[in-house]
Amino acid sequence: MNQVAVGRTALFFALWLMIAGYHVADLPIGLATAVLATWASLRLLPPSRLHLRWWSLASFVAHFLAQSVSAGVQVAWLALSPSMKLRPGFVVYRPRLHSAGARSAFCALSSLLPGTLPAGSDDDGALLVHCLDVDQPVAASFAAEEARFSRMIGDD
Amino acid sequence: MSAADVFTVVAVSAGAFFFLAGSVGLLRFPDSLTRLHALTKADNLGLGLVVLGLLPQASGLLGGLKLLGVWVLVQLSSATAAQVIAQALGRRRPPP
Repeated sequence: MNQVAVGRTALFFALWLMIAGYHVADLPIGLATAVLATWASLRLLPPSRLHLRWWSLASFVAHFLAQSVSAGVQVAWLALSPSMKLRPGFVVYRPRLHSAGARSAFCALSSLLPGTLPAGSDDDGALLVHCLDVDQPVAASFAAEEARFSRMIGDD
Repeated sequence: MSAADVFTVVAVSAGAFFFLAGSVGLLRFPDSLTRLHALTKADNLGLGLVVLGLLPQASGLLGGLKLLGVWVLVQLSSATAAQVIAQALGRRRPPP
């Protein structure tokens, strides 16, 4: 618990240094901000049994960057092509992630993947995914992305 | 002009192109949900390319990390905002 708090404070302080720059006179404010941010983060996101796997994180980031390039290119292509072949619609996807926090993190992340945008969930927790092209195998690619994500955070 | 400067010009121009494409999508796409796709995805790639292009011009390690920090924060907030807006739209008009 204490270890988590110290780790998070260090992380927030590093982030603050990164944004505000290093000036000795400002350090107390940065430190106070880091402590307050840690307090908020511990309330909003209590430490859990999930642990990042660093090697999976690296491969996940590489994959995510490639996916965001392809998402941007796809949207730009659609927007600029004269015929604009959109087949928008909804696909229902049932997430397999166990923890609720992991599920919402995955939702945020999948809104940056090519052609998909989660638009809420129904009463049994199934995700409503809005797609630019409903003919694409959205459910299959979501399952693959989810498996990759759960390997990274150790939710499998 | 050094190689780093050429890289900056190319990457930042590519980034501006994706911002433009995203805005065209915002104007041309048929409804709010498809427009959200255009904005989040094209603009994220646009910002990514602008940040990538500016990295060689950054003043030292701290400046570079700051650029990356801006990129990460914008990604997080745009992913979250897109989702929340999509949710609000979905609630107002349930899918068939």
